[in-house]
Amino acid sequence: MYEVGRICVKTAGREAGKYCVVVKKVDTSFVMVTGPREITGVKRRRCNVVHLEPILEKIKISSDASDSEVAKTLEKENIFEKLQIKKPDLEKIKKMRAEKEDKKEKQEKKKEKEKPKEDKKEKPKKKETKKK
Amino acid sequence: MPRPRLRTNFLKKIRKKLPGGGYVIHYKKRNPSLPSCAECGKSLQGVAKGRFNKIKNAAKSIKKPTRKYGGNLCANCTKKNISQNVFKS
Repeated sequence: MYEVGRICVKTAGREAGKYCVVVKKVDTSFVMVTGPREITGVKRRRCNVVHLEPILEKIKISSDASDSEVAKTLEKENIFEKLQIKKPDLEKIKKMRAEKEDKKEKQEKKKEKEKPKEDKKEKPKKKETKKK
Repeated sequence: MPRPRLRTNFLKKIRKKLPGGGYVIHYKKRNPSLPSCAECGKSLQGVAKGRFNKIKNAAKSIKKPTRKYGGNLCANCTKKNISQNVFKS
């Protein structure tokens, strides 16, 4: 039932209710699984079979395939239309991430500018108190 | 004797020991009842307890589980609901 390429729904944990693809068999009870993360939100991870619910759709991939290979085959076999998943704009996500990093860099630069000024002000005050 | 308003049971009473050996009663407002599952009625885990003014500044991940239907259904009921919806479709 949980062979390579089977599409499942996760039923437990923070990723419950999201679609994923079986990539590799580990044991009788464990299986490797991906969304991939950028498309459905499921991280590439080991997962117990009890926490999965299989559905009828299946895709053709080799065992232990990478995330980019899985994403291409999902597009080829029109899985997005069958399951009514929204196709994510990967360019939008890249822009959002770049904007976030820019904000972080600006904040760090501001902190670096503020710190040395405070140190200079504190030093002369101490000398004045000693003279008195 | 306490005030007649405090003689009812609407406030919680706490005994505090004094250094001289006696005790004093402190009055405290009661906590609200714990949230329970909407389907089976089981009390939920991973939800913050206490009055609102103590919880409100806590982080979002402490107040509720980050699962789907978190803070509304228990873990077993979400599992049932998701797997039933898969069979229907």
